[in-house]
Amino acid sequence: MPRIIGVDIPDKKPIRIALRYIHGIGPVNSELILKEAGIDGQVRAHELTDDQLAQLAGIIDGTYVVEGALRRAVAQNIGRLRDIRSYRGDRHRRGLPVNGQRTRTNARTRKGRKKTVAGKKGVKGMK
Amino acid sequence: MARSLKKGPFVNEKLFRKVEKLTQMDRREPIKTWARSCTIVPEFVGHTFLVHNGKIFNNVFVTEDMVGHKLGEFSPTRLFRGHTIGTKAQRASGSVK
Repeated sequence: MPRIIGVDIPDKKPIRIALRYIHGIGPVNSELILKEAGIDGQVRAHELTDDQLAQLAGIIDGTYVVEGALRRAVAQNIGRLRDIRSYRGDRHRRGLPVNGQRTRTNARTRKGRKKTVAGKKGVKGMK
Repeated sequence: MARSLKKGPFVNEKLFRKVEKLTQMDRREPIKTWARSCTIVPEFVGHTFLVHNGKIFNNVFVTEDMVGHKLGEFSPTRLFRGHTIGTKAQRASGSVK
């Protein structure tokens, strides 16, 4: 199994897909990288030569913020919002949506699974 | 959606002039303001603002990190005290934990 950028081990998929297993590289970046390297995106990852792999690694290393560095950068941005006590930082702290979405309903991605609270008449199956 | 670069950041003129005046006099007393939509520009750093939230004026000391944000972002308009734990009767009936 080929290795690009440390621990990422894309597999038998076409290289343009395999590259996307790296955190921070999506469909667009994947295509751009392959174009720069002059490698056909349809070639399977395991069919690439070591030279080609090294080339890809070089391009990614030089131009893209990926994996740990990217995660750190994102966490830092959020941390900054928290530190300056801004509204957005507060929403992050409370685990609520940050970009002004409604919270009366939905918002389950941020709030997590429903925590049922019984109303006056009780909730079905909670008697 | 981001604001057009052509226009530059929105800064309340009056407030900006006041800040400049205070800086010139080398004074740092808090500035009372209702201009929540005013972007914080580098000139504001080190000043204290009293930003209205619809009811009271919240103390906002501007640091370098806040540049680019709006004054209103630091003066919350809502107060959430949490949900009730339910009445005694509700807890007794087991409908509320």
